[in-house]
Amino acid sequence: MKFTPKQLDENVNVSKTHPLVELMWLVGGLILLVGGTFFLLGVTTDWAASKTPVKVENWLGNLALNEFPAEQSPELKSRLDALLAQVPQDSPLHQYDFNIYLSDSDDVNAIALPGGRIVVFKGLLDQVESENELAMVLAHELGHFAHRDHLRGLGRGLGIAVVTALLLGENNSASGLISKAVLTFQVQYSQSQESAADQFGVDLLTTRYGHAGGATTFFARLAENAGSKIPYVLASHPHPKNRIEALNKRIEHLGYPVAKTDKLHPDLVLED
Amino acid sequence: MEILLQNIDLIIFILLIVLGYSAGSWAEKKHYRSIKQREKELLKMAVITAEGSFPPGQVANATLVSGSVVVSIDYFKRLLAILRNVFGGRVKSYESLVDRARREAILRMKEQARELGAGMIINMRLETATIGKSANKKGRVGSIEAIAYGTAIVKNL
Repeated sequence: MKFTPKQLDENVNVSKTHPLVELMWLVGGLILLVGGTFFLLGVTTDWAASKTPVKVENWLGNLALNEFPAEQSPELKSRLDALLAQVPQDSPLHQYDFNIYLSDSDDVNAIALPGGRIVVFKGLLDQVESENELAMVLAHELGHFAHRDHLRGLGRGLGIAVVTALLLGENNSASGLISKAVLTFQVQYSQSQESAADQFGVDLLTTRYGHAGGATTFFARLAENAGSKIPYVLASHPHPKNRIEALNKRIEHLGYPVAKTDKLHPDLVLED
Repeated sequence: MEILLQNIDLIIFILLIVLGYSAGSWAEKKHYRSIKQREKELLKMAVITAEGSFPPGQVANATLVSGSVVVSIDYFKRLLAILRNVFGGRVKSYESLVDRARREAILRMKEQARELGAGMIINMRLETATIGKSANKKGRVGSIEAIAYGTAIVKNL
């Protein structure tokens, strides 16, 4: 047997696909997969959230409130009751037993927790200047309850966590990538929820006071400090300026009158 | 600026991917050039996996020669492999790594045989091992080791 040395040009052991092309296919496939799962999950949880009885939600709320050390506020409660009186009788809002708390935190925020609990932060109360503005904030939170938003958020978060853990294992690096991607979707969803709650809020505010005055002034004050719009691409709330625009559009579209606002009653004026 | 700071881990991740891709493919191209060049130089050295039998008196010396090499993955290759774990299929990004390791190991073995003055290597065996088995686990870097060994034959003239 004769030995003939020869160098091979072809290499059958290495695939010819360009790595960047492969990356594109894989990332595209992953986005499709996650997007599809997320869409299905979203539809299911939205449906489930709308069917969940208020009783179950109250039970969930009891679990959640332990996180927020805050005191019940009778002053806020009276304003909330005045708003609730304007809500139509058949609304699911009447099934809630609302508790409203005032928290010591300096954050300019208010949150709706499952089970009819609303927490208002002192930082927000500092910024509020009229009764109408406060009513708008409370009506916005009521909007979250009316749309069952906290249940939806909870359901979606839980669903994504369970699905990625089931598909890929708990500590897979891919789960990290996916949660990053999903977070971006979640943000869009959360911003649309906020806008819907704003719309509900301005409707309720108008029924309460007969005009939509004060609906946008609070956001206008926030907008002054909010700065650029770019960071809001990834924020849970839309940029205040966008919220004002959307609210003004609704006020104009439905022909709500805008009148002077009532000054904040002294029982809620905070001393510095 | 704030948005950059808020997503600092995402930015670091992207930077590592870009760095992994550019540095990784540069190193790979360079390595392949060197492999091809040296393979050409050592083309005359026959390497066979058969045991080989020689007429008495023909073999002057028979020595064990071995060559081993460790090649590390880069961040970009790891990303591709992680994504492959989801869909299944050939992990193409690791193929070139294994190929490079095998060929480099054989080359080093041949170079050792050349220094001994051998004309051929018989009974060649190739083995691979992974150093850092948890290549796909978080924060770990995987690498592959290939070792080639065989019997270098120095013939009587």
